Amino acid sequence: MLRMIANLLKVLNSEAEPGQISLALCFSMIAGLTPFWSLHNLLVVLLVLFLRVNLSAFLLGLAVFTGLAFLLDPLFHVIGLAVLTAEPLEGLWTALYNSTLWRLERFNNSIVMGSLLCSLLFFVPLYYGANHAILQYREHVMKWILQTRVMQAFMASRLYSLYQSVSGWGWGGGA
Amino acid sequence: MSKWIRWQGVIAFAVVVLLVAGVWFLVVDRVIKRAIEKTGTLLVGAKVELGEADLSLFPLGLTLSRLQVTNPDQPMTNAVEIARIAFSMDSLNLLRRKAIIEEATVDGVRLNTPRTTSGAIPDRPAKSEPVSKKAVGDLFSLPSFSATDVQEILSKEELRSQKLVESLRTDLQAEQEQWQKKLAALPDKAKLESYRKRLEGLKSAGKGGLSGIVGGASEAVAVQQDLSRDLDQIKTAKKDFEDSVTGLRKRMDEAVRAPQDDARHLMEKYSLSGSGLGNVTGMLVGGTIGDWTATSLRWYAKLQPVLHRQAERKKDVEVVKPVRGKGVDVRFKERAPLPDFLIRSTRVSVEVPAGAIQGQVKNITPDQPILGAPLAFEFAGEKLKGVQSLKLDGTLNRVDPARPTDRANLRVRGYRVEDLSLSKSEQWALALKQAIADTDLQATLKGEALNANLAASLQSVQMVSGVKAGAGVLANAVASALSDVKGFKLEAEVSGTVDQYDVKLTSDLDRVLKDVVGKQLQAQTARLEAQLQSAIAEKVAGPLNELKGSLGGLDGIGTELASRLNLGTDLLKAGKGGAPGGLKLPF
Repeated sequence: MLRMIANLLKVLNSEAEPGQISLALCFSMIAGLTPFWSLHNLLVVLLVLFLRVNLSAFLLGLAVFTGLAFLLDPLFHVIGLAVLTAEPLEGLWTALYNSTLWRLERFNNSIVMGSLLCSLLFFVPLYYGANHAILQYREHVMKWILQTRVMQAFMASRLYSLYQSVSGWGWGGGA
Repeated sequence: MSKWIRWQGVIAFAVVVLLVAGVWFLVVDRVIKRAIEKTGTLLVGAKVELGEADLSLFPLGLTLSRLQVTNPDQPMTNAVEIARIAFSMDSLNLLRRKAIIEEATVDGVRLNTPRTTSGAIPDRPAKSEPVSKKAVGDLFSLPSFSATDVQEILSKEELRSQKLVESLRTDLQAEQEQWQKKLAALPDKAKLESYRKRLEGLKSAGKGGLSGIVGGASEAVAVQQDLSRDLDQIKTAKKDFEDSVTGLRKRMDEAVRAPQDDARHLMEKYSLSGSGLGNVTGMLVGGTIGDWTATSLRWYAKLQPVLHRQAERKKDVEVVKPVRGKGVDVRFKERAPLPDFLIRSTRVSVEVPAGAIQGQVKNITPDQPILGAPLAFEFAGEKLKGVQSLKLDGTLNRVDPARPTDRANLRVRGYRVEDLSLSKSEQWALALKQAIADTDLQATLKGEALNANLAASLQSVQMVSGVKAGAGVLANAVASALSDVKGFKLEAEVSGTVDQYDVKLTSDLDRVLKDVVGKQLQAQTARLEAQLQSAIAEKVAGPLNELKGSLGGLDGIGTELASRLNLGTDLLKAGKGGAPGGLKLPF
């Protein structure tokens, strides 16, 4: 847990582009909320490795969103089932159902459909929201925090030494 | 652009994918083994163990070695043990999540093999076995019909005569109370006498001139109306009373006759059949056939998940619950529909002590409506040890899930029966030492309706019985008759539902026994009947006499009602004698 918090702070305080961190969070949302061993997650992993997104943020986000998925699965099931059984979309689903690639994707499972739909829906809002939050954090909060007595005390603590120990990791800056 | 692209990431991706694939290939055999064991154990309710699973990629196929399925009722025995199962799969269809197996081979199937460790699972739910409503013959024993037996029978049985007497006693008491109340509410003698006074008063009023006559006439009409109303009440009550008493008397007659009916009913149940040893066959082989039926149905119930998958229609699409995993899978129309799982043909080799039986099972799938064909099986064995020939075939049809129909036919010729215990009774052990049996069995299950017919012909029969001293004359006679039997035919009919079925057995053995031991049976039967009648009569005699007394008590009410009616009728007649002043009254 301490290492996770240290990682988060490291990522936020790094010189990485906010967009790289936000995009990593968005990809982690897809991979974390949907069943991991789904075909689309192969594409997500490829994109995460191919695009210069922040890997620490991705791994951190993956852990958080996977935990969240356990709570949200019943909701995803309801949404997925409603979408899959919606009469106007039946033609589309039937066409996809007859395609090998889409059958492999297992889109006709209520949880796969519900979770994928929700994560795609929140992809863009999360990207901009996270971008904005990171900028705000760096401009206002980080400076103020560094000057507080609590932070001064923290910088002398074990957690800070942990933070420093991970700060040397090459992936953080997206290099 | 290079700010957003990380070319070395593609290499990392390839490494990751290869690593995952490598790990998967290393562990997949163990994953398959575990999945088969877990799912099998869940379905059977006892341990299912697999020696080894071997997945090959080119061509795609799976080989399973030493599959053991524990018998849930005997954890130290495997119900089935299979040496090897091998099949190859259609890889293209597998990508579409359809496991299509054109041909599978199942070698070395052995039944009832011993286990080295127990196959019981600790948290197995209590088994619910089909209950035979009229399970026949747990143990073969012949009653000696002693006085003790009669008392034992009476202590176990609920006598109809006792019930009748009890209900009649309650009703009689209620009727008595009800009529006492009604009698109190009806016009009594005092009230009726008051009419006489009013009539006499009218006669004296007639002497008071014209106005007296006119006033008297209207009063006379009023008296007549009041009296008629009261009389109607009494008449209706009397009629109701007579109806009640008639009903009670009928029931009393029934109660008087009931002990005889009870004795007759108990005779049919406990004697070796009033219609002539009709239940000996049931006692001899009923238990065995009942056990076979129960075992077959229990295993049939375990087959159900393989035959039909739970599915429900939602709007125009079908929602199917997957065996494992979360959520539900929604099915849409396919251009070339195929079941999710299908084994088109399975060649099976079963090794029984008598030799090898070869067979084939076609169309194993939980999605028969999609395939449009039922599961069909056929097994045959020739010149086996102790069996001349054996043939089993049938279909399990779920093509129309609303009308499931399953059929099975078994034909066995020249089956050598040896040392088959028919009775484990301490008093009288009976065994079929040897016989040659030809058997035909047809079983059908349409929805819930179960129907099975077994016809067996036994030749070269040799029965041995060990009758203990004191087993009774009848037991000795039956034992002697059975040792002379050289052949007999047996027919069994199982009908009802899977949960509630009856087994009816008939055999010419009954006739043989009837001829031989008829006289002993008659004497014993007559003795039992007399003892039963006397014992039942003794039980209900006291309460019946009480009832007769109580019924007699109702006579008083009847007499009272009749007396009031007579008095009222007389008054009415007296009133018709004339109105005051000599005018004719209108009644």
